[in-house]
Amino acid sequence: MDDLRAINNDVESNATKISAKNVQVYYGDTHAIKDVNVEIKEHTVTAFIGPSGCGKSTFLRSINRMNDTIDICRVEGDIRIDGQDIYDRNIDPVQLRARVGMVFQKPNPFPKSIYDNIAYGPKIHGLAKTKADMDEIVEKSLRRGAIWNEVKDRLHAPGTGLSGGQQQRLCIARAIATEPDVLLMDEPCSALDPIATSQVEELIDQLRESYTVVIVTHSMQQAARVSQKTAFFHLGSLVEYGTTDDIFTNPKDSRTESYISGRIG
Amino acid sequence: MSTQHIVSAFDRDLEGAQAMVLKMAGLVENAMSQAAQAFETNDLELAHKVRGNDKVIDRLDEDIKTNCARILATRSPNASDLRTVLAVMSISSNLERCGDYAKNIAKRTTVLAETRQIDGVPAALRHMQSAVASMLQDVLDAFIKRDVDLAENVRARDYEVDEMYNTLFRSLLTHMMEDTHNITACMHLHFISKNIERMGDHTTSIAEQVIYLVTGEMPDDDRQKSDLISQSKPDELSRT
Ligand SMILES: Nc1ncnc2c1ncn2[C@@H]1O[C@H](COP(=O)(O)OP(=O)(O)OP(=O)(O)O)[C@@H](O)[C@H]1O
Ligand SMILES: [Mg+2]
Repeated sequence: MDDLRAINNDVESNATKISAKNVQVYYGDTHAIKDVNVEIKEHTVTAFIGPSGCGKSTFLRSINRMNDTIDICRVEGDIRIDGQDIYDRNIDPVQLRARVGMVFQKPNPFPKSIYDNIAYGPKIHGLAKTKADMDEIVEKSLRRGAIWNEVKDRLHAPGTGLSGGQQQRLCIARAIATEPDVLLMDEPCSALDPIATSQVEELIDQLRESYTVVIVTHSMQQAARVSQKTAFFHLGSLVEYGTTDDIFTNPKDSRTESYISGRIG
Repeated sequence: MSTQHIVSAFDRDLEGAQAMVLKMAGLVENAMSQAAQAFETNDLELAHKVRGNDKVIDRLDEDIKTNCARILATRSPNASDLRTVLAVMSISSNLERCGDYAKNIAKRTTVLAETRQIDGVPAALRHMQSAVASMLQDVLDAFIKRDVDLAENVRARDYEVDEMYNTLFRSLLTHMMEDTHNITACMHLHFISKNIERMGDHTTSIAEQVIYLVTGEMPDDDRQKSDLISQSKPDELSRT
């Protein structure tokens, strides 16, 4: 306990990593994201909160072009990472997704072994020269995903044979195996017990040193604990975006306050 | 934020905590006015009663803290709910201190019964005491009504209490220098006046909590502190 400094939550001077301008997302005729403007800071954990169906996952998916895989989905506006338009025709979505990793709301391990689930990304992006390199990446990723101890004796068993919470941690380990710049996490802890949740929160805090993390969560306490900036979405609009401290102690918009304090809004 | 919580027991928890702190405030107001009355009328029986009653105030403070800790642990309040719990805890501490000062005044009243009278001082103390009592009454009103203007007004009035204290302090010094036989009585009277002055400070801090509760921000301009004692030597003071 030598370090008496408060945790440094001041990220205002950090550079902008992701910038979204006038973003609209449609599913057919449904206008799911309405004119969202937001600047997400580098080396910062940004939490997206809001009631079910308000568009958090939709907006998150537009940051790594996962919405491209949904036929009826249409994204308009301007989204840039490091100043580069990610919807530019020269951008390869597969390359983009290696830089912008994602953990989905529902765990989705590949129907392969635990080892191959992790090794898949590093292999296609040529991150390991030797088998020993790959073993090291796999172990390190599984450790950071807080699941190593549970799977180290059955690395060649299928990933789909794990419990729901274990599958989710496997997916987190898979997402960080390629060392992405940006990590998008959609409710990563919804299927986890309190210990695994704490481990994932610890991981998120560590990741912030080198990456930019955006996390969708339904746990207000988790958003307050892990993030430095918070964005509150409601009916497809970004209602309030500010420092997490301000949002949780003194929100400006009454809709934000009703939501975070569990009131009938 | 006055709309209800989806979990109605949460509303009852918050209302309960606020009701407890208001109950405590009533007891403290009583202790303050009874201590003043005991001093004024030399009523040693009443002074004794005030000293005994302080235990009840201390118990309530503990109960409030326990209750707030439970709300923090079980409901994880946010935004204005969080500020309500924090304000209640802090106001409870301020009130508990005011109760201690009232008890101390009652204790000194018992001792003062054996010493000589000092002209003019009881009237000055009465003046100070009623100024602080009305500040406390208003700040509780401000808390109930979430009235920032009234809380600001209470904060401003603490300046006058400080001034009264400074004036009284000078006059006590004069009395002590004129006749050393006055020293014992004057020392006790000084502590009584200091107690009342400190009650004013705690009332001011309650006013700041009310402002924080409503606006989410502590008032930032540092109130000008008119405390000559900490800045000058006694002989300088008696000359002014
Ligand atoms: N694949 C899809 N096809 C059609 N409509 C969709 C699709 N995905 C989402 N939507 C609609 O878009 C809106 C936003 O959904 P989204 O999944 O982004 O919400 P969310 O905020 O992530 O909610 P939750 O907290 O429940 O995960 C909803 O009205 C939803 O019905
Ligand atoms: Mg979602």
